[in-house]
Amino acid sequence: MATRLQFENSCEVGVFSKLTNAYCLVAIGGSENFYSTFEDELADVIPVVKTSIGGTRIIGRLCAGNKNGLLLPHTTTDQELQHLRNSVPDQVVVQRIEERLSALGNCIACNDHVALTHPDLDKETEEMIADVLGVEVFRQTIAGNILVGSYCAFSNRGGLVHPHTSVEDLDELSTLLQVPLVAGTVNRGSEVIAAGMTVNDWTSFCGSDTTATELSVIESVFKLREAQPSAIVDEMRKSLIDSYV
Amino acid sequence: MVQYNFKKITVVPPGKDFIDIILSRTQRQTPTVVHKGYAISRLRQFYMRKVKYTQQNFHEKLSTIIEEFPRLDDIHPFYGDLLHVLYNKDHYKLALGQVNTARNLISKIAKDYVKLLKYGDSLYRCKSLKVAALGRMCTVIKRIGPSLAYLEQIRQHMARLPSIDPNTRTVLICGYPNVGKSSFINKITRADVDVQPYAFTTKSLFVGHTDYKYLRYQVIDTPGILDRPFEDRNIIEMCSITALAHLRAAVLFFLDVSGSCGYSIAQQAALFHSIKSLFMNKPLIIVCNKTDLQPLEGISEEDMKLVMEMKAEAMKTVLGQGGEPTNDEGVLLTMSTLTEDGVIAVKNAACERLLNQRVEIKMKSKKINDCLNRFHVALPKPRDQKERPPCIPQAVMEARAKEAAEKEKRKTEKDIENENGGAGVYSASLKKHYILSNEEWKEDIMPEILDGHNVADFIDPDILLRLEELEREEGLRQAVEEDDDFEMDGKELTSEEQEALAEIRKKKSLLIQQHRIKKSTAESRPIVPRKFDKNKEFTTKRMGRQLSVLGLDPSLAINRARSRSLSRKGRKRERSPAYDGGDAMDVDVDTPKKKLRARSRSLSLSRSRSRPPSEVTPGEGFKDSAQKVKAIKLGKKSVKMRNKDARRGEADRVIPSLKPKHLFSGKRSIGKTQRR
Repeated sequence: MATRLQFENSCEVGVFSKLTNAYCLVAIGGSENFYSTFEDELADVIPVVKTSIGGTRIIGRLCAGNKNGLLLPHTTTDQELQHLRNSVPDQVVVQRIEERLSALGNCIACNDHVALTHPDLDKETEEMIADVLGVEVFRQTIAGNILVGSYCAFSNRGGLVHPHTSVEDLDELSTLLQVPLVAGTVNRGSEVIAAGMTVNDWTSFCGSDTTATELSVIESVFKLREAQPSAIVDEMRKSLIDSYV
Repeated sequence: MVQYNFKKITVVPPGKDFIDIILSRTQRQTPTVVHKGYAISRLRQFYMRKVKYTQQNFHEKLSTIIEEFPRLDDIHPFYGDLLHVLYNKDHYKLALGQVNTARNLISKIAKDYVKLLKYGDSLYRCKSLKVAALGRMCTVIKRIGPSLAYLEQIRQHMARLPSIDPNTRTVLICGYPNVGKSSFINKITRADVDVQPYAFTTKSLFVGHTDYKYLRYQVIDTPGILDRPFEDRNIIEMCSITALAHLRAAVLFFLDVSGSCGYSIAQQAALFHSIKSLFMNKPLIIVCNKTDLQPLEGISEEDMKLVMEMKAEAMKTVLGQGGEPTNDEGVLLTMSTLTEDGVIAVKNAACERLLNQRVEIKMKSKKINDCLNRFHVALPKPRDQKERPPCIPQAVMEARAKEAAEKEKRKTEKDIENENGGAGVYSASLKKHYILSNEEWKEDIMPEILDGHNVADFIDPDILLRLEELEREEGLRQAVEEDDDFEMDGKELTSEEQEALAEIRKKKSLLIQQHRIKKSTAESRPIVPRKFDKNKEFTTKRMGRQLSVLGLDPSLAINRARSRSLSRKGRKRERSPAYDGGDAMDVDVDTPKKKLRARSRSLSLSRSRSRPPSEVTPGEGFKDSAQKVKAIKLGKKSVKMRNKDARRGEADRVIPSLKPKHLFSGKRSIGKTQRR
């Protein structure tokens, strides 16, 4: 199920939230609208936590995590760290790391098994990612962009990457990640995929500018409904051609 | 992509208002006070400014009109033709042309009168010239009054035109009047087109939007068309013809099989054939409407033949697209807008055929190559045996199953917020959902700073474990230390060694003591290397004493030291005992000088002779050896460490004498301070 929503008139919902299979972090907003959309969808199953990171609301871009762990940048305050430790389930390891590139969300893209990282990340950080998140780590770029965390979003079931990714790159990435991948956009043509949406294995939240076509691509590639990724090349192909070309 | 939006054209004021606007602006925006007594150049300048300013404003206003109205040749031919049909191209162009001429005329008038004003010789003359100039400008505008009124009408009409995008996916509905076109558009879109049981209810184009396969389609309802020669058609019909001619759309030709619209099938077929040239290269569907009144199967033989003829014609459009001719579905469809029977089928057929056609065209374009990656789903090749299963909690599955059964609403934070005064008033506790081992701990207040320390720095979840580990380690170390308890005491040494040790220790403590004394009184005294011997403590006497303590004869060392002492500079080194073997050094003997010189030369010639440093060699850049010596001296000086021995220098601070008596003694009760 993909839901369209906004955070205080901004469609970049991936910036203000972090969704994983074990917990969901949401920025503290002026009203509860944004939080309650997540709450409605998820609160029965996983904790939905309101938090700030380093006093900012752009939490989705600052932290990286999956069902095993949560990595926080060195800007995180002690109080926020304690708050998160108290709020997420005990089996999730919450770890603050000393990495120069402190927007971890932009530098790391991961699911529960594999992570792609920025090529310039420290060796220690790489080890930390492997340990805390329990993933295989690959240093990669996506369509020439080093900010892998911004330009792709993937769960254990599928992934969406920057629209300029070539077919060869798509195949290579797909083999690395072991999930089906599609090049696409969110928020009416936005290339920063992870900023415009956030996804886990059974649900996804997209910016409210996302078009019906984009939403159906997302639902098929992430297998959020019955639709399978192959639907993109079968029944949706014509619509996609007519809207892109 | 060009957006056609005629709603943003600025209002064109009628001629009279136009003049009022400009003149009042001139009055408000230019200076108004003038006197006879002013210099004539100032008077001229005053009125010239008024004329120029008025002209500028006219020019600006007229220019906006000319620029904002679309040029019929530059816009999409659909809009070009539509505007021509609605407003008559010639008339439209004429009106804009007149506005343009007026603009030029006004510029010319202003130029002329500014020139004349240069020769104005009094306030009265200048004023009269200004009045004449403004008057002529107003007359020009008054003359184009009708054109302005016409343009304003057109503007109002254009603002009400539907915003049709000529390039997007479009479904076009056409047919005789009163065959159910508007009812159909009302069924498939949210356009609320007026439907009435008489002909020409729809007098212009109407637009609605509908979705099919994730895409948005623009549906255009056209006014009915009658079957008559092209020239006889009225404006309303011509709108439909324009749309049919210029839009690349799927065309739905509506056929009223019941004949309740007042036209027989034969008449409608005739219309079809007369306008079929407009259907070229467009997906065409013949829609038989009003089947609730008259099913298609029930019509007479010859009518059926006409319908089949039309279908054959429509099949050609399928052929034109390269489709196989046998596929005749989606060409002739029946529906009833009243019972909504087949309406969706018609819509889907139209959209599908249009989509197919557009995709086929686009597949041939070059742009498709840039987007090929987006139609590709990369499926992973297995790279190892590892299983990477998705992680969906059981609860989600259960919730989904339950959702299918019944949906009960959860009370969300938003509901609580609304109950408690809304956003900005209600503030939710962040601690509400903590997962702790004891529920009561949730709202506990955690200290952040304690005794000036950050509490978080000392939080360690496994502190007890670590403490235990440390204690164990310490115990181990203590056990080892008890085993080898070693201490130096002098028991193992011989008596001599003990003495030497005592001596060493004594000396050591003495040195330390001395150093400490020095340090405590050092204040700002410079640290001087020992070799300068500031305190004159390293004397030959001392050396002698120390050497004799060691049991050595000091005389040789003392002599040597003396020979090198600075104070005895003048003293020659004592001759070393004579060396009899060689005569090369034997200078005292009375050998003639010549001989000696010759020998010495011959000796020196056998070796290479090094040059003295002061000798000038060409290419070094020195004038003579004196200059070179000077340069060498300077060079040496510059690398010398300065004042290592802390001698007094001119830069040192000097306090001559603190209380010079001669300045502070003597009477000065009455006299001056200088005089004592």
